[in-house]
Amino acid sequence: MLEIGVQTHNAVFDENPEAGFRMIKEAGFTCCDFSLNMYLKNTDLYLHRVNGFFDPPVSEMEAFFGPHKEAAKKNGIRIHQMHMPYPNFIPDAAQEINDYLVKEMAPKSLQICDFFDCRYIVIHGLKVKQFYGSEEAEWAKTEEFIETIAPMAKEMGITICAENIYTSAGKHIVDGPCCNARKMAERIDRVNEKYHAEVLGFCFDTGHANLVGIDFEKFLGMLGQRLKVLHIHDNDGIADLHQMPFTFTKTRENHPSTDWNGFLRGLKAAKFDGVLSFETAPVLQSFPLELRPQALHMIAEIGHYFAKKLEED
Amino acid sequence: MRLVCAPEGTIMDARRPGQGIGDILNAGFAETILDGLLCCKEREFKGMDKVRKDAAREKRPYIPDEPERIGEALKPLMDACREKGLAMSIARAPYLLRDRKSPELTEIYRNIAVEAVGLAVSARCEAVIVRPLFAGVPFGKEWEMNRTFYLSLLPLLQESGTKILLENQCKNSEGHLIRGILSDPLEGVDWIDALNQEAGEERFGFCMDAGVYNLCGQDMYEAATTLGNRVKAVILRDNNGHDEDSLLPFTCISDYGQQTEWLGLIRGLREIQFDGYLIMDAKMTLDAVSPILRPTYMKLVKETADYFKWQIELESLMKKYEHVVLFGAGNMCRNYLINYGDKYPPLFTCDNNKDRWGEEFFGLTIHNPEDLKDLPEGTGIFICNVYYREIEAQLRGMGITNGIEYFNDEYLPALNMHRLKGL
Repeated sequence: MLEIGVQTHNAVFDENPEAGFRMIKEAGFTCCDFSLNMYLKNTDLYLHRVNGFFDPPVSEMEAFFGPHKEAAKKNGIRIHQMHMPYPNFIPDAAQEINDYLVKEMAPKSLQICDFFDCRYIVIHGLKVKQFYGSEEAEWAKTEEFIETIAPMAKEMGITICAENIYTSAGKHIVDGPCCNARKMAERIDRVNEKYHAEVLGFCFDTGHANLVGIDFEKFLGMLGQRLKVLHIHDNDGIADLHQMPFTFTKTRENHPSTDWNGFLRGLKAAKFDGVLSFETAPVLQSFPLELRPQALHMIAEIGHYFAKKLEED
Repeated sequence: MRLVCAPEGTIMDARRPGQGIGDILNAGFAETILDGLLCCKEREFKGMDKVRKDAAREKRPYIPDEPERIGEALKPLMDACREKGLAMSIARAPYLLRDRKSPELTEIYRNIAVEAVGLAVSARCEAVIVRPLFAGVPFGKEWEMNRTFYLSLLPLLQESGTKILLENQCKNSEGHLIRGILSDPLEGVDWIDALNQEAGEERFGFCMDAGVYNLCGQDMYEAATTLGNRVKAVILRDNNGHDEDSLLPFTCISDYGQQTEWLGLIRGLREIQFDGYLIMDAKMTLDAVSPILRPTYMKLVKETADYFKWQIELESLMKKYEHVVLFGAGNMCRNYLINYGDKYPPLFTCDNNKDRWGEEFFGLTIHNPEDLKDLPEGTGIFICNVYYREIEAQLRGMGITNGIEYFNDEYLPALNMHRLKGL
């Protein structure tokens, strides 16, 4: 049976990581997705604010995260995957900010990942298509970024996972980096061949895919075993809401408008053997404090349901 | 490039098309579509018993039952178009609602498509858009079933020059429109090449439906450049990315801007030097306005079509001239230089700000506009400033006889990350 995981954002807090990991465990999870991205938020970065979290030497950062690591271990939660802060390039920012992201933030993220004995780190590709003109040119820039950390990842045995993300036209969400499964499969193979190691893999984000109408089954079937980690969450097909699966419907029959059956068929086709990991932090935010453990429990139950369905032939 | 106005929204009834044809012609269009939807709309496939009875009461053929009467149903329209001089060199077969799942409908649709293709051939259309089979088509069998379907239409083409155009689809997944058959442009390439190979000649091409690409949040630059010269037609219609509407381009907007990424489409069509049918489908915009206002809106539809053509063919403007000079020394001028500076190097640029005369701007010297009076023959002046009309009036007032063109940097192949400020 596949393991079930959830992101730590909104569940684990620095003041008392023990309580958060205990809640995750009690809800029925055995894994987590460590939200390193919350320590250098995208909302700040887009305003060119760099908070200095990644300034200290790694040893100091490890000391900071020591209680988190200990609490996870104590509660039997394995840190299976981690989210690197993003973006790693800001088009209109000063060169020194972009240099900082590549030279300080990214390698230290990998070191923290290794410190947690975590083997998968999720990154976002650069969003520069409108400036460079094509998705190919955009990917070339993402690959340049990957090249800066790939040797370290290889040495640590970490797989960098590129995630399908989105961009927008007005309020309408459209294809962003890494939304073409066929191209991503070729690129992952090429990069890994170059390094003779699995330095690059894929993170499939169900919510982002749903927003741009990606056919889950087809996409996952094309990726195959290049698929390493998941961000499972739901939305209305319009906004990136990060809710729990089976939340949204669009017809009077009230069948889910997100193709969860296609998702399961796709995982089977891809022979996925990783962790069913949920990226549903906003659920915890929207439920009252008293109901959060139950909400988290419900998410874990959905995970167990998925795992069971995947076991059935 | 052929600018075509889709008839729906203008021609309300195929049996009484006169006013609609007049509106299309008066707007400046010379072509419309021989559109099967005018006698068999999608809704004819919903609640079919009732629609069948309605058709009988209205004494009109119910095409799903009598597909062979499609020619009869469209005859008044075809006759009127011929009489008034409105060309119909592209046709479209009727199609099913996207939420139809019953395999029985596939047979009905197949029969209608056969008749629609036959009609297009007899009307000497150059192309006919035929959507793929989807209702009841199992996952993984899409190509197999559609290969048979499309090849079965080949004998109908006989010695005509008519081509069949496949079209990108979305599918209805419990009310959510997601990527469907042929939404992957590489799939389109594979299908068309395989069909043409079996046909032994180029009998199949592609029609890009911008509205459907937008519903699926797809990158239209990728679609256009992947499909390349297989793209024979493009349907321009706008929507909010969630509902399958057919609105006039640039009208579906939010406070953050356009809801359709026209940038990718224009970039892509320019790169492949698209020269096929540009079909304007503003059905819902036109439906929504009073018939009294419709002629005015129709003129805007035509101007929008002209604008797309102009953007797609932007480079041809520069090709027209032996030399190029620019007017304006700001971001737009810089964008010209980045995108076209090597291929069409300007002699200089000019600006009304006398403090900048003599200054070097990205390798160009900024001149006094008075210098434009002494340009060599065959030199075009490209206005690189959003105050187009004001500057054009200034130049005309100076008695300049050289060609005056507008340059625009909203949809260029590449854009700058940093805007110059304070110019």
